[in-house]
Amino acid sequence: MHGFDPSFEARSAEFLGFFYLALALMNATASLYLWQAGKDKIKVWFNLGGVAFTNVLGWLSLSMLCVILAAAAMGGIPPKLPGWFIRNANAALTGNPGAIVYTLATTALLIIAYYWRRFFVKPVVAWTLFNASLLLMGLAMTNRPFWEIVAKPDNVPIVALVFLLGFFTWLATYKSVTNDDRAVEGLPPLEKDDDEKVLVWPDLVYTELICMIAITALLLIWAILLKAPLEEPASAVKTPNPSKAPWYFLGLQEMLVYYDPWMAGVVLPSLVIVGLMAIPYLDFNKKGNGYYTISQRRFAYIIFQVGFLELWVTLIVLGTFLRGPNWNFFGPFEEWDAHKVLVLNNIDLSQILWNDIFGTSVPTVTSDMGTFDSLLVVLKREWLGLLSVALYFIVLPPLLATTVFRKFFIKMGFVRYMTMVTLLLFMASLPIKMALRWAFNLKYIVAIPEFFFNI
Amino acid sequence: MAAKKKMSVEEILAAARKGGSSDGGASGEDKPGKKETESASEAKSSEASEKPKPVGKSGSGERPSVADILAAARSKGGGNPEAKPAAKKPIAKPVAKKSAEKPMAAKPAAGAMSTSSILDAARGGAKRGPVSKGEGTSKDKPAAPVAKAKAGKLKLEVPPMPEKPGYAKPAAKKGAKQDRRGFLSVMGLMVGTGIGVGFTSLTMTMVVWTLGLARYLFPNIRIEPPSKFKVGFPTDIAPGVVETKYKAQYGVWVVNAPYNGEQAIFALSTVCTHLGCTPNWLEAEQKFKCPCHGSGFYVDGINFEGPAPRPLERYAISVAGDGQLEVDKSVTFQQEKGDWDNPASFVPA
Repeated sequence: MHGFDPSFEARSAEFLGFFYLALALMNATASLYLWQAGKDKIKVWFNLGGVAFTNVLGWLSLSMLCVILAAAAMGGIPPKLPGWFIRNANAALTGNPGAIVYTLATTALLIIAYYWRRFFVKPVVAWTLFNASLLLMGLAMTNRPFWEIVAKPDNVPIVALVFLLGFFTWLATYKSVTNDDRAVEGLPPLEKDDDEKVLVWPDLVYTELICMIAITALLLIWAILLKAPLEEPASAVKTPNPSKAPWYFLGLQEMLVYYDPWMAGVVLPSLVIVGLMAIPYLDFNKKGNGYYTISQRRFAYIIFQVGFLELWVTLIVLGTFLRGPNWNFFGPFEEWDAHKVLVLNNIDLSQILWNDIFGTSVPTVTSDMGTFDSLLVVLKREWLGLLSVALYFIVLPPLLATTVFRKFFIKMGFVRYMTMVTLLLFMASLPIKMALRWAFNLKYIVAIPEFFFNI
Repeated sequence: MAAKKKMSVEEILAAARKGGSSDGGASGEDKPGKKETESASEAKSSEASEKPKPVGKSGSGERPSVADILAAARSKGGGNPEAKPAAKKPIAKPVAKKSAEKPMAAKPAAGAMSTSSILDAARGGAKRGPVSKGEGTSKDKPAAPVAKAKAGKLKLEVPPMPEKPGYAKPAAKKGAKQDRRGFLSVMGLMVGTGIGVGFTSLTMTMVVWTLGLARYLFPNIRIEPPSKFKVGFPTDIAPGVVETKYKAQYGVWVVNAPYNGEQAIFALSTVCTHLGCTPNWLEAEQKFKCPCHGSGFYVDGINFEGPAPRPLERYAISVAGDGQLEVDKSVTFQQEKGDWDNPASFVPA
C-alpha cells in the first residue's frame, strides 16, 4: 500500500536534522539552567586537566553530540538503528504473539515504574530517559515503515501526547513521592506548606494570556507544517483499510476486537463513565485530599492507573502504531502488508464444549423452530458459558469479600462493596477476555447470535 | 368643635355642655346606669390619663350625665355635618378597612352611631392611642344607642359615613362590550403593527416550513438501487468464484461455492456482522476480511476469525424467467437461524 517514494530518505533526513538540533538546544538549555541555578553537582568521574566533569558538562556534551547528529542527518547520512534491533523488535511484536508481548511488556514496564518510582522520579533519571526515548525515536525514524506511521499527520499529535502524558505522570509521581517522604518524617504535604493564595489578576489572567498566545502560535506552526490528513471520498461500500477510529477511541476499537458491539460499544463504555462517577461515593479513604500521594491511597491509585494507563492509553498506542491493514498486528518496523496471512481462527466456548469435549455437533436452531424452542436450544448449547458468567458475577463478590477485600467489605457495607466489586469485575473482564482470546482462541464465552447476545 | 386640633374627652364634654340643651337631664333618665358604665369603660380603655372617673361620678349629680352629653352631641352633630372635619377626612383606618372588607355590614353602622364613633368624629378623625377591644365591640353593636335614642324621642341625625377611599371601592364590572373591544385591539396589534406583522409572518413561515419538511420525507424519486436486480446467468459464475463487481452498486457478492457439501450460487451481504463495516474479498487468502476489527469469513460467508459473532447474511436469489439470476435484497437469510436451508436463499449450481 505504500508506493515507492523517492523523497522519503530526503524528507526524513531533513526532519531529523531539525529534530537533533532541537534536542541539542534542549540539552544546552538544561545545562545552562543547572549552571545558573548553582545545581552543578561536582561529581568527579574523571578530571579533564584539572576541570571537574560535572553534570552540567555531561548534558553539554550530549548537546554537542546532538549537534553532530544533526549535521550528519542534514548531510543525508542520519544514523540508523542496527539491523538486529529492527529484526528482533519486529519478530517480537508481530502477529497475535506480538499483542501478547506488547501487553505483557507494557504491564511489566508499568509495574517496574511503580515499584521503583523513587528511582524514576529523580530529575536526572527522568531527563536521561526522556533523552533516550527521543534519541531512539530519531534513530528509528530512518526506518521507512516506522516513519510512515509516526510522521503521518494524524499520528503526530498522538506521539506528542504520549510524551506529554509521560511528563505529567512523572510530575504527579514526583510530587506524590515527595509528599510521601514528608509524611514519613511527620511533615505536612508540600501543597499545605505552599498554599499561598494568588490573585486572579494578574497571576491567573496573565498566565492564561501567555498560554493563549503560545497555543495559537503552536496551532499556526502545526497548520503550516503538517498537511490536513484528508482521505479519499467517502463510499458506503468501500471502507479504508485499516479503518481507524479517532485516536481517543482507539482503546474502544481495540475492545471491540474482543467483544460484541453491544458489550464493547455500549455496556462497557457506559460502565466506565458510571464507574468514574461512582468513585466519590465508593471512596472511604479521607486521606489524599488536596495533595499528591501514592502510599496513602495505594488502592485507588493502582486501580485508576491500571484502568487509565494500562487499559486505555496502551490500547490507544497499540491501535495507533501497531494495528495495520485488516486490523492485523504489525511490528513497529514492519511493512503494512494488506495480504499478510495470519492464522486467527477462533471458536466459541460452546464449540469447545460440544465438539471437543462431548464429541458431538453443536445444537443449532433451525428455521422451523419457534422462539421458545430456539431459546431452549440456545440455553442447552450455551449453559456452560452462561454458568461461568453467572459464577463470575455472583460467586466472586462474596468470595472476594471474605478474602482479599475483607477490610473493604467491613468498611463499605454491602451496597457500596457490591457496587465497587461489580465495577471492578467489569473492568477486569477486558484483560480476561483478551487473555482468553490469545491463549485459547476463544471468541465468545456466551454466543447467542440468534438474539444478538454475545459475551 | 370645628377646630382641627384633637380634643380630649373632657374638652368634648365641656364644649357639649356649653352648647348643650337644658333637656339633657330628661334624656339622661333613660338608662343612666348602663350608659355610665359603658362610657366609663370606654374612656378608661381609650385614655387612661383623662381621668374619666369624675365624669362618671358627675353623672349622678346636677351636671348632665355622659349619656346626655353624647346624645346632645349627636343631635347637634347631625345638624351641620359640613362643619365636622370628620365628614371630609377619612376616619380611623379600622373603620375604612371594615367597610372595605364587608361593605354590606358597614351599611347599618352608617345609620346608627356608637359612642366611640361620635368621639372619633369630634376628635377630628384620628383617634388617639390604640384601638381597644372595647371600642371594636362597641362599633359592632350600633343598634343599642339607636334604640335608646328613639326611646328618648330625640331626633337623631347621623353624620354621613366618610367617602370610601379608592382602594375600598369594588372594582367596576367588566362589560361584554369591553371584552370585545380588547379582542379587537389585540387583533389590531397582531395585524396592524410591525411586530404583529413580523410575528404573524414568522408563524406562517414556520408552518409552511414544517409542512415542507414533512413533504421532504417523501421524495418523488428514490435514488437508490432497486431491491430486486439481475446479476447475469448462472453459467457466468464459475465454481469457486466470488463476483465482486456488484459490491459498489448493490452491496452484494455473488458467490459460487460449496455449502454443506453442495455447490450453490448465493448472494452474500457486504455488511460485516460485527459492527457493519464493509469487508474486502481477499482472493489470495480466499476469505472476506473486515478492515475495522479484523473479522474474517470463509468464501461461503461463515465467520471464523475476529469478533464477528455470526456469518454474513444471504439475500434471496432465484432464476428469473429470462434465465438470469435475480437477487432480492428485501429478503435476508441468517445461517444461525437455520435460514440457509431455505431453497430461496441459493440456486443450485
